[in-house]
This record gives sequence, structure tokens and C-alpha cells, in this order.
Amino acid sequence: MGIFSPVLAATTAVNNSQMGLIEMMAPPEDISVHGNLIDWLFAYTTGMNILFFILVCIGLFGFSWVYRASKHPKAYYTYGNKKPHIMIATAVGLSVFIGVDMNITRIANNDYVNVFTKWPKAEDNPVRVEVLAQQWAWHFRYAGSDGVFNTEDDIVQLNDLRLPIDRKVILQVLSKDVIHSLYFPNARRKVDAIPGRLTRIWWEPTKAGNWDIACAEMCGTYHYRMKAHLTTYSQEDFGDWLAEASDKALQVNDIENPELFWGWQWQW
Amino acid sequence: MAFFEQHIHEEPKTFLSKYIFSYDHKVIGKQFLWYGIFFLGVGGIMALMIRWTLAFPGEAFPLIGGLLFPTTNGVIPPDTYAMLFTMHGTIMIFYAITPILIGAFGNYLIPLQIGARDMVFPLLNMLSFWIAFVSAAILFISLFIPLGAAAGGWTSYPTLSTLIGSPGAGQTLWALALFLLGISSTMGAVNYITTIIVLRAPGMGYFDMPLSVWGLGLTAILNAIFLPVLGAGLLLLIFDRVFGTTFFLAGAAATSGTGDPILFQHVFWIFGHPEVYILILPAWGIVSDLLSFFSRKPAFGAKATALSMTSITILSTLVYGHHMYTTQMSPLLTQTFMTLTMTISIPSAIFFTNWLGTLWKGSIKFPTPMVFSLGVVFVFGLGGLTGLYLATVTTDLYLHDTYFVVGHFHYTMAASVLLGGYAAIYFWMPKMFGKMLNETLGHIHFWLTFLGLNGVFMGMMIVGYGGMHRRIYNPFVYEFLEKLIPINTFVTWSAIVMGLAQIFFVYNFVYTIFFKKEKAEANPWGVGTLEWTIPSPAPVYNFKEIPVVKCGPHEFGNPALTGDRDFQYQTEEIPAT
Ligand code: HEM
Ligand SMILES: [Cu+2]
Ligand SMILES: [Cu+2]
Repeated sequence: MGIFSPVLAATTAVNNSQMGLIEMMAPPEDISVHGNLIDWLFAYTTGMNILFFILVCIGLFGFSWVYRASKHPKAYYTYGNKKPHIMIATAVGLSVFIGVDMNITRIANNDYVNVFTKWPKAEDNPVRVEVLAQQWAWHFRYAGSDGVFNTEDDIVQLNDLRLPIDRKVILQVLSKDVIHSLYFPNARRKVDAIPGRLTRIWWEPTKAGNWDIACAEMCGTYHYRMKAHLTTYSQEDFGDWLAEASDKALQVNDIENPELFWGWQWQW
Repeated sequence: MAFFEQHIHEEPKTFLSKYIFSYDHKVIGKQFLWYGIFFLGVGGIMALMIRWTLAFPGEAFPLIGGLLFPTTNGVIPPDTYAMLFTMHGTIMIFYAITPILIGAFGNYLIPLQIGARDMVFPLLNMLSFWIAFVSAAILFISLFIPLGAAAGGWTSYPTLSTLIGSPGAGQTLWALALFLLGISSTMGAVNYITTIIVLRAPGMGYFDMPLSVWGLGLTAILNAIFLPVLGAGLLLLIFDRVFGTTFFLAGAAATSGTGDPILFQHVFWIFGHPEVYILILPAWGIVSDLLSFFSRKPAFGAKATALSMTSITILSTLVYGHHMYTTQMSPLLTQTFMTLTMTISIPSAIFFTNWLGTLWKGSIKFPTPMVFSLGVVFVFGLGGLTGLYLATVTTDLYLHDTYFVVGHFHYTMAASVLLGGYAAIYFWMPKMFGKMLNETLGHIHFWLTFLGLNGVFMGMMIVGYGGMHRRIYNPFVYEFLEKLIPINTFVTWSAIVMGLAQIFFVYNFVYTIFFKKEKAEANPWGVGTLEWTIPSPAPVYNFKEIPVVKCGPHEFGNPALTGDRDFQYQTEEIPAT
């Protein structure tokens, strides 16, 4: 029985899930302003890929069928080095390159330059968070009421990130031990957390709710459990939480403990 | 072409000199073949254990689970899981696919297809195998030491792979084993390149070589250049682990040091990206030849195919940064690597067109080697196209380190190279062992493998797009991944189908070699390359007379041919029309 029980469990899992296949295959809900750029480019690339793969399949299955030896006993003797042959091969190569690849590259490049690496400035008043990764937890640090990091009134959270919607957030990320990767599935983004090197990531939540944060880079045995919780609030709710957390920080922060001051000067 | 006299080897007399410490490239090729098939089995069972854990978390692994993991009643524990995927990746790439494609077929085919009596450096060749053997032994031993084998992934990024993340000796042995294997492969590569340059039969220009030799030769060039790069990285890693240097350690906290962990990633991928082409190039060459052989038609645009493979070889050295977008390289580097990566599609599209052009107006037969080759065209199409998402920086920010990547690279290197390797085994079996594999079993093997692998790797891409990240022991601790349980279960069942399909191959292979009586003809497939001009299996000295080459390797269906053959040997003049 032992080896069959998982089989039974699996079949019931399939039967019980009310979801259609398409729904099951969909990526997690997008809760960011710019996640749609990535989804759109994915869909566009998929469209192009399907088109070209259909062409490959037509050639592959079509020729295999039409020119099977029983129907087509005598092969056409050619080296495929005549002018039209070379022109067709070159045309296919160039049309794939210009029509598909360069198009995708151009779009990706625009998004990359104009959005993903267009870092919010102080004037944009983003939420600033410092992130320290370690085996196997995420620490998040807000500057607290003085607006300066690594001071006594910082709000320090363990595996618990809270963000307001409709306001940019910029996170500076560092690792204490091995390489990790801060992964927001619902924002379609990730950035590595590296010892000795600051990286950063910014995005803007659009929807209030509860979401998962994961570590995407293999970081040891409990890599799979390196999970944090993301709560997105409306601006008012976030304000309330922040005020409360600031008050609490002053009380609970143990300033004698050097471990508390893992933060760094914010670098714009 | 030969610059020196090639002597006729004496037939070795003792068991030891004939089968163990043989200088004969054909025997060494077979040694690598057995070695690779053995590790393909080991790596395959590891893959099944990984898949089992993902589909049925907390359930004991059937049959052998209780034996291997007695402390957990047969359930695979998380630390073992990490060792399993690390060893699976390492073994499949370096100890299964590389020995089969490069070790076995590189050795076997190069001298035979260029009309030579052996490699230029037979001693180096023998050493190459035995160093690979020692390397495998070290890797194998590392599975059984305290704290276990390496568990940082086949990429073994520091600082996880330094003492901070992996205190056990397993990681050191892993690095040592790969370092040795690098030496072995470099020796092989030097040998292949020299042999191709100096020992081509008189009359054989580079474009008269079969495309298989082109693929193997280009691979050897990449191996000779880039394995030393890996070796350097591994050596520094060993230094960090054993002698307390800090090449890859940085930061103020647990990892104080003045080095840089990202440096290793650069070094690793300078090697690592060419490595994927090292694996695929021989398969491309072999498939290009086989498509022509079984369409009974010259390879379409053979010269363009050879040149496309050459340009991909060159481009493959310039694109490695696409593995490192999430480390936040400078934007300029990121954009450059993205654009350069995209240019690879030009030569790729050209030789895809040539493959289809070869089929066009052919007279196509479908024995097992041909269906495997057609399978390669299909799966490499999927693998190549899905690479676009990962070359594109913005989509990669989402897909990097998810199962989408795992699905993609399995399509290219697991599926395509595996099918290409099988095509080669079925095709050259008569020349290697003097007997033909059973066709019916071969077709069953193909179809089950093909269905299974598409289920596995397509399923992996789907869960990856669903957001499931890789190298995780239990995805279902995440809420957003819970809905993917049924697809993961489906992937696992497909993997089991694929695994079971290999039984048809193993049975067919072992039965044919050891028990089948019927001998194969000298040229059962009706192909004109040089290895088919000699008896099956090939005699110790290969060619009694060094052949003189008068035409290319794909002379099929020339209307001026008289007689009942539709092909001509490379030693024959093309008839005047
Ligand atoms: C029977 C077919 C195979 C199955 C079912 C399979 C399955 C898997 C799975 C489940 C993983 C773990 C992915 C992760 O957690 O990130 C994996 C990783 C990997 N596989 Fe396979 N695999 C197969 C064949 C191959 C072959 C033939 C190769 C040879 C090139 C290969 C190369 C790799 C590599 C390089 C990794 C990455 C290991 C790592 O994460 O460090 N696989 N495979
Ligand atoms: Cu982590
Ligand atoms: Cu690459």
C-alpha cells in the first residue's frame, strides 16, 4: 500500500482542485505598477515563439510526412548552395534576428532604462527599506522618525515587510553570510543579496493584501523555508502602523546590543 | 595530410592491455560509453528522488528509500535533497553527457571519420580516461563521508560553497573531482584538435569532414580554452576552503574578507556558458549528418551549417553575463550581454533552416537513429526559443532562478543532447559492437522518452512561470505555489515514464552486446563516410590502407550514379554528369 498512497493523494489533489488548467498556469497576481511590462513582454515573446515553432513543426512533420521514402522514393539531389537556397536561409536568420530578437531587446532595454533602473530620488519620497539577508531569515529596517538609518529609533522587522500602496518603495539589500535573492513573485522582481556588495530594487505596490516573499538563490539546507511575509496597506493604514511601530521601536530596541545596528548610511 | 607515418597497431594480447589500459581510441571510446551510461543511470535515479520529493512531500521514496534513508523511514531529508540536486546536475553534465558525447563518440568517431589509424597521442588518450575515472571515484566517495557530499548546486557559488556555507569535506572533494576532470577533458581536447589537424586522410579538406567531426572539433576547442578557466576558479575555491585565503569572501559580518563572491560567478560563467555549447555542438553535428543520411540527400547548406556552428562557438564566449542579471552588474554590461546573446539567433536560425532544408524533397526513412534526430530538432527548437525569455533582462528578473530556467536548460542540454547521444548510439552500434540494436525496442524507447521528457520539461517551465523558484525542498510552504501541486505531480509522473523507458534501452543494449548472435554488415545504413568502408566492428588498425578522399561525406542521390547504390563512398570520385 505504501507506494500507492501518494498516487491516490495525487489523483484526489487533481480532482479536488476546482481550478482550470489555464488558471493554474497563471503567474501569481500582479500587485505592482510595472509588473505588467514583464507580463506583456513575456506574452509577446510567447506569441513570437509559437509562430516560429509552428513553422519549425510544419517543416519537421510536414516534410517527414510528404517526403517519406514510400511516397517519395527518389530524393532531390542538391547541396542547398544555390542562390535562392542561401537567400532563404539568410532571410530566415535575419528576420528572426530583426523581427523578433531586436524587437524584444529594444522593448526590454526601454523598460530597463526607463523603469527598472530609474531609481526613485529623494524628491519622490519613496519608502526606504534596508534589507539584511541571512541563513535563513530576512531583516527589514525602516529609518524611524528621525529619517536616519542605523539609529536607535529604527524599526527593525523580522520576516515581516509592510508597505503602503501607491507609493514607490526602494530597498537596499545586503547579505550577512551567503548569497540570497530577494524575490517578490507578485511584483515579478528579484535581486540578489550579496555579502559585501549593496544591491537595490524598487517597485510600487498597487493592491492591499497579504503576500509571500521568498529567497530565490540556493542558500543552504533551509533555503526553501527562507520566507517572509509582505503586507501591503492603504496609505492611511500604513501611516497608522508606522506610527505605532515607531513608538514601539523606542521601547523595545536594546541599544546596548551591537547586533541591532546592522544597518548602514542610506546611499541615494 | 599526415605529417608522419601511421603504424599499424599490434593486436594487444592480454586482458589488461586490451580492455583496461588500452591505447586504442575505439576501446577508450567504449570505456567512456560505459562510464557515461552508468552515471546516466545514477543521475537519473537522483532526478527521480528529487521529483518524488516535489510531488509527494513527506512520502517515503519507494523501493530503495528505506534502505538509503533509514533514519527518516525512507523520506528524503532536506539536506540530502540539496546534495541530490547538486550531484544530479554535476553528474549529468560532467559524468554522463560529456563522457557519452565527447569521451565516447569523440574518441570513436574522429579517427574513423577522418581516415586515421588512431589519435595522435594514444597515451594522452588513455590518461584522459583514467584521470576521469579517478575523478569519478573521488566524487563517488564524497557521497559517503560525514556531513555528506557537496550541496551548493552544480554552480557552487561562494560564499555558500566556502566554509561559511559548507563546512564538510564534500565540497572540497567536489571541487577536486571537477578539477581533475577538467585536466582529463583538456587532455582529450588537445588530442582531438591535433588529430583533426594532422591526421585527416589525404584529400580530405575541412569541409569534406562529416559535420559530426566539425561539432566534436569545435567542442574540443571550447574545452581546451575554457576548462582551464573553470580549473582556475575551482583552485581558488579550494584555496579558500583549505588554506584560509579569501578570494571569494567579502563583507563585514560572517564573511569578512577582501575578496568578492561575484568574482567566482564571472569565472564560472566564462566557462559555464561555453559549457552548454560544449555539450550541444557534438549533438548538432551528429544530427546534421544523420538527417542527411536518412533523407538520402546531401546535407542542405553543409558549409553554412559548419560556419554557423563556428560562429556560435565564437559568440558563445561573449555572452556569459546573461546568467548574472540579478547580481546587478552595471547597466551597460547588462545591455551588452543581452544584445550579444540575441545575436546567437542568427546562426541558430540558419542551421535550423538547413536542417529542414535537408528534409525537404528527401526520401526519408525512419529507423531509430533518425527518429531520435528528428526529436532533437523538435526539442532543441523549444529549448532555443525559450532561451529568449532568459536572455531578455526584464523577463529574466522574474524568471531567473525559477523552474522556468530549469525547464529551459533541460530542453537544451538534457533533452537535446540526450536524444542526440541516443541517436549516435543506435547509429554507430554496428560499427562499435558489430551488432544492430533492435528497431522495435528502439522506437518504443524513443516514443516513451520523448513523451516523458516533454511532460517533464514543459511542466517545469509552466510551474516556473507560475513563480515556483528552484532548488526548493518543499514548494508548498508558499501559499502562491499551492495551486501548482497537480502540475508538479504530473511532472513527476512524466519523469517516471521517462525513467522506465530507459529500461527498454538498457535491455536492448546489454542483450545486443552480450547475447545477440546476428552480426551486422559492414555498412548497414548505406552511408558513405569513411568508417563505413571498413568491416564491422572496426578492426584494431582501422584502415588497412589509409584511404584517399575524393568527395564530401553526404553524397546521396546523385542522378549520375550508376549501379544500385544511391550513395557513394568518400573514397569515390563524383561521377561526371
Ligand atoms: C530524467 C530526466 C531528468 C529529470 C527528470 C531531471 C530533473 C531535474 C530536477 C528536478 C532538477 C532540480 C531543479 C532544481 O531544483 O533547481 C534538476 C536539476 C538539474 N539537472 Fe536534471 N533532470 C533530468 C535529466 C538531466 C540531464 C540529462 C541533465 C544533463 C545535462 C540534467 C542537468 C541538470 C542540471 C545541470 C541541474 C541543475 C542542478 C542544480 O540546481 O545545481 N538533468 N533536474
Ligand atoms: Cu536565502
Ligand atoms: Cu549562458
